[in-house]
Amino acid sequence: MNTHIYAFGSVCRGEVDPSSDIDLLACLSKPKMEYDPEKFSIYSHDRIKELWLEGNPFSWHLHLESKLIFSSNGSNFLLDLGKPSTYSKSLEDCKKFNQLFLESYYSLMQSSISAVFHLSCMFLATRNFATCHSLGEGKPNFSRLSPLQLERKLPVTQENFDVYVRARILSTRGYGAAISSSEIEQALCVAPDIIGWMSELLPRGVSHE
Amino acid sequence: MSEFNNRIAAQRDILICINTKYWQEELFGLSRGAIERWVSVNQINSNTVLIKLVNESAKKLFFLSNKSQEQITEDYKMLSKEVSMLTKKIQNEMSLIK
Repeated sequence: MNTHIYAFGSVCRGEVDPSSDIDLLACLSKPKMEYDPEKFSIYSHDRIKELWLEGNPFSWHLHLESKLIFSSNGSNFLLDLGKPSTYSKSLEDCKKFNQLFLESYYSLMQSSISAVFHLSCMFLATRNFATCHSLGEGKPNFSRLSPLQLERKLPVTQENFDVYVRARILSTRGYGAAISSSEIEQALCVAPDIIGWMSELLPRGVSHE
Repeated sequence: MSEFNNRIAAQRDILICINTKYWQEELFGLSRGAIERWVSVNQINSNTVLIKLVNESAKKLFFLSNKSQEQITEDYKMLSKEVSMLTKKIQNEMSLIK
């Protein structure tokens, strides 16, 4: 029965703010009830190996941004796995997140019902698009602010992008001040800029499908 | 459409159904934190059928925890019928409390 616990994500990048939580990964050789899935991302060692073979973005995230906290047998399981396979699904994943952004945007254009949730999905789509694109280009960036940090960065101010970030935190953690209708309008106004940015990063003809 | 986007679409349908009613504050997502906030702000009895259905849907859609880092691994197709049925039950429940 081996157990490995890692910290990963924002805390390993030194990106800490009042809304940050600490991402913890538990690699377990068999399920253990005492590990709360609310506090840990729980994986078997075999599943992690599969992710490494797939070259899944999460495997690259762990490979590049994780720190061993505890090992029951003294080994560093993730380090010993070496480099994950080459990530080959950048285009496929970017198209998927472009699609998600458009669906959420159109839903929000139709009605303000569930506006925070729609903005949250637009954030998720934008951040994951940027992360998958950067990984495909060989310059991986897993930051929450990755869209603003790429070479061809998102043409949106930090202030406007923060409305999307706050919506995401409200949706996934229920934490933070509510978003006002004027902030929702403010976020909606820059959505076409985000769509244009995605179109520029995707090969010609694959966006807006 | 990808399984991941399908799961988001199912969550979107459930939230729109719930948020169509006037609440002090909308339900922002099917995460544990968002559900607890919604129940607290709107002073909803957490033993109601609606809350049980919301929690069950969240569990099926894997959104209850915000800790799942993978995007494309779960087989949503196997769950889509169950989630559709839960969505219908939530719609019925909402029609009763309007």
